[in-house]
Amino acid sequence: MTTKNIRNFSIIAHIDHGKSTLADRLIEYTGALSAREMEAQVLDQMDLERERGITIKAQAVRLEYKAKDGEKYMINLIDTPGHVDFTYEVSRSLAACEGALLVVDAAQGIEAQTLANVYLALENNLEIIPVINKIDLPSADPEKVKHEIEEVIGLDTSDAVLASAKAGIGIQDILEAIVRKVPHPAGSVEEPLSALIFDSHFDAYKGVIAYVRVMNGKIKPGMKLKMIATDKKFEVTEVGIFKPYPANIDELGTGQVGFVSGSIKNVKDVRVGDTITDAEKPVSTPLPGYRKITPMVYCGLYPVDSSEYENLKDALEKLQLNDASLIFEPETSIALGFGFRCGFLGLLHMDVVQERLEREYNIALITTAPSVIYKVYKTDGSTLDIDNPSKLPTPQEIDHIDEPYVKATVIVPNDFVGAVMELSQEKRGEFKDMKYLDTTRVMLTYNLPLSEIIYDYFDRLKSSTRGYASLDYELIGYHTSNLVKLDILLNGEPVDALSVIVHRDKAAYRGRQLAEKLKGIIPKQMFEIPIQAAIGNKVIARETVRAMRKDVLAKCYGGDISRKRKLLEKQKEGKKRMKQVGNVEIPQEAFMAILKID
Amino acid sequence: MNLGLYIHIPFCSQKCFYCDFPSYSGLDYLYSDYIAALSREISDRGGLLSDYTVDTVFIGGGTPTILPAGLLENLMENLQKNFNISSNAEISIEANPGTVEESKLKLLRSAGVNRISFGVQSFSNDLLKAIGRIHTAEDAIQSVNLAHRCGFNNINIDLMYGLPNQSLEHLKSSLLKAYDLEIQHLSVYGLKIEEGTLFADSSEKGLLKLPEDSLEDQMYEFVIKENIRHGYDRYEISNFAKCGYECQHNLKYWNFEPYVGLGSAAHSFINNTRQANIRDVRQYIYSLESGEFPLESEERLDDNTAIEEFAFLSLRTVKGLSLEKFSAKFNLDFFEIYKNIINRLEKKRVILIEEGYVRLTPLGMKYGNQVFSEFLR
Repeated sequence: MTTKNIRNFSIIAHIDHGKSTLADRLIEYTGALSAREMEAQVLDQMDLERERGITIKAQAVRLEYKAKDGEKYMINLIDTPGHVDFTYEVSRSLAACEGALLVVDAAQGIEAQTLANVYLALENNLEIIPVINKIDLPSADPEKVKHEIEEVIGLDTSDAVLASAKAGIGIQDILEAIVRKVPHPAGSVEEPLSALIFDSHFDAYKGVIAYVRVMNGKIKPGMKLKMIATDKKFEVTEVGIFKPYPANIDELGTGQVGFVSGSIKNVKDVRVGDTITDAEKPVSTPLPGYRKITPMVYCGLYPVDSSEYENLKDALEKLQLNDASLIFEPETSIALGFGFRCGFLGLLHMDVVQERLEREYNIALITTAPSVIYKVYKTDGSTLDIDNPSKLPTPQEIDHIDEPYVKATVIVPNDFVGAVMELSQEKRGEFKDMKYLDTTRVMLTYNLPLSEIIYDYFDRLKSSTRGYASLDYELIGYHTSNLVKLDILLNGEPVDALSVIVHRDKAAYRGRQLAEKLKGIIPKQMFEIPIQAAIGNKVIARETVRAMRKDVLAKCYGGDISRKRKLLEKQKEGKKRMKQVGNVEIPQEAFMAILKID
Repeated sequence: MNLGLYIHIPFCSQKCFYCDFPSYSGLDYLYSDYIAALSREISDRGGLLSDYTVDTVFIGGGTPTILPAGLLENLMENLQKNFNISSNAEISIEANPGTVEESKLKLLRSAGVNRISFGVQSFSNDLLKAIGRIHTAEDAIQSVNLAHRCGFNNINIDLMYGLPNQSLEHLKSSLLKAYDLEIQHLSVYGLKIEEGTLFADSSEKGLLKLPEDSLEDQMYEFVIKENIRHGYDRYEISNFAKCGYECQHNLKYWNFEPYVGLGSAAHSFINNTRQANIRDVRQYIYSLESGEFPLESEERLDDNTAIEEFAFLSLRTVKGLSLEKFSAKFNLDFFEIYKNIINRLEKKRVILIEEGYVRLTPLGMKYGNQVFSEFLR
């Protein structure tokens, strides 16, 4: 098939605006799957993603569509992750396309995340087709949403497709619009091979599978290929496509999208954004836009049961096979013993990894509060990158500390502007801009410390705007802040894993809140436990967990030991998720308590 | 080999509001059928246990003394006939004040029963009424005195604390009255609201005024202190006795020694196996009438479970866990198995190791469950 009849596109949508359902409908409509085979939301591979309604692994599905013009088209749908943590991945998926559907909920309008992705698409010169989804909802207001799209993004919406993925309305219109409006791929099969890696995953049998978009040339089994950034070479054993189940094909031609496998063992060698070329006839310049991903959020991961350390290590290594952006290295905590300091793209990424470790690998984990990377300038002139609060040098050694800042964009109904401003102010935000998107919706821009975002900014944003606010942010650099380390002492002993770095002006308040919160989390034990929050040697807050009431089974009825045993087992079960630190048993959630305070 | 025998009599004239034991009122019509079934079980099992010498018998309930004298006599005869009961065996019976008349007590005594345990619970009539007891404080005093007169010189009474509306004064005066009765043994239990009881229901509806935790803790400490002061040594978490009057039968439970339970819902521990008889009284009778073994469940303890149970049971006694006995029994070193846990618990000052025993400290006794559960692996 010539590139003339190929269309590559993505779907840009806010969570819950119907991306997955629409993808399902398109697959169903073009007959890639029979209705019987349709399992709702086929593109989302992992259960976890399905439960959260989020797509993390980008994938590509080839659809075959006979258009009204009588011609057959090969349409590749490239799925993109829908979360701020994965902006870079999104940008690479978009770079593999010539067009994008902008799916907006007819009742809700544009959200910050959608907007961010539209800008990414525009940067990649994609043709954008507005699709107003969920038009069958009673509260749908397509005209208003169209107007908003025109106002905010400046897109012509006169041709916007009105659709309801759920009800199957407008599916053919969408396919027609893709055929008519999305440009066919450029490039030439005569040119040396260059293909963009937009995702990869590890398969236990085939090794690393790279998802690629061929820009020029073609890929066939037996070819020797090279990845430019990592300079790794491999021989192609298989090329294939997803329809949506994987199927091998003879070759992947110019403009096409599919997967390539060879004997590549390490997912780190297959970096998203890297260029694959012919090892014998390489292109001289890689495709634009590649960068190495750097984690933004760090936390300590420790097994509750210290004998599970090796299992945790194995599990992390296995996860890393499939997730090149996950990094970890061994770390020791006085309180928690041996564990790992792990770096993540963002909070969601962190959550997903934790959940997979607990669910798929069955390891009970203690997670310490997430931290950003602080740049610590010491009085001796040296600089340190600190991703673990307990590693912060003493105040005497510190000249100043810089922390990462982000530009945060919030879209919110105008009734809540005050609430967002108040919250952002409280979170040390610096107001940048306010823009009316239409008469009722406002876009606010703030510069905020990333650490405040990962604390609880998003949760509080949601709750103070009754869930209407949407947020997007991007890193803008480092700024000097007046930061101190807040320590927590339990039973007189400092617990390193509970230390946090906070702004000095907030330290006293946070200390009090944290001590109070911990009092609520740490269960009563056999003796009284003082909880102290301290900055340096100065105790700024104190709470006490009183001793528990007596707890002993009184009667031993007629020798019924099994019943007693069951009671004790139940009790034991409750303790399983607690970590023994000194003489104190601390529940897992205590280590995240800092996130739960206002 | 020695063996303890537990005989369960699942009848009461009224169910106490806090009680979740397998005991029922209004089943008078089953008394003779039940004793017939029980006799059958006694002879069936007695035949299989002829190698054992029975050195303790405990007739518990329910209220065993609610049975007519004839049935009790019949039961005792059957036991003597079918088991090798040693001549100096401890033979206990549970009784409720007001259910014992002189003739019945004399008959029991002459049938070999040498220890009697009265469920007194309190010497305050208001409290007794409020927890569903059928007797008064005066009944209790009379019954105990009567037992003395009928030749019982090993008498226990059960008392409770933590009752609704109970004050420390109530408890003090009950204890003093108990000491006045010159009994040999005292069991003192804290009230626990058990699922499925009337109290659980009232408690859910907020109708129970239970003592605050701090008051209950005070009561607990008070009981221990006063009992010891009056010459009743604590030998188990809830049990106190004058020297030499520890209940030998109950010690078997905690010392991991074999016992066989007969009757509905009775439990056995023999040959490293725990068994439970059918709980339902009618089904129990029916099963024996049909010539079946009235077993409801059976669990053979694997080594690990046996070790855990040995640990948490023996730690209930004040004497504690004998390291020598442990290694003889399991051929393993207790410290080897529980090194980390022992270390931790010692640091928390809830256990200590002395003269070849691991035992709970007073703090450990108070928080027994917390300590015991640590020994489950």
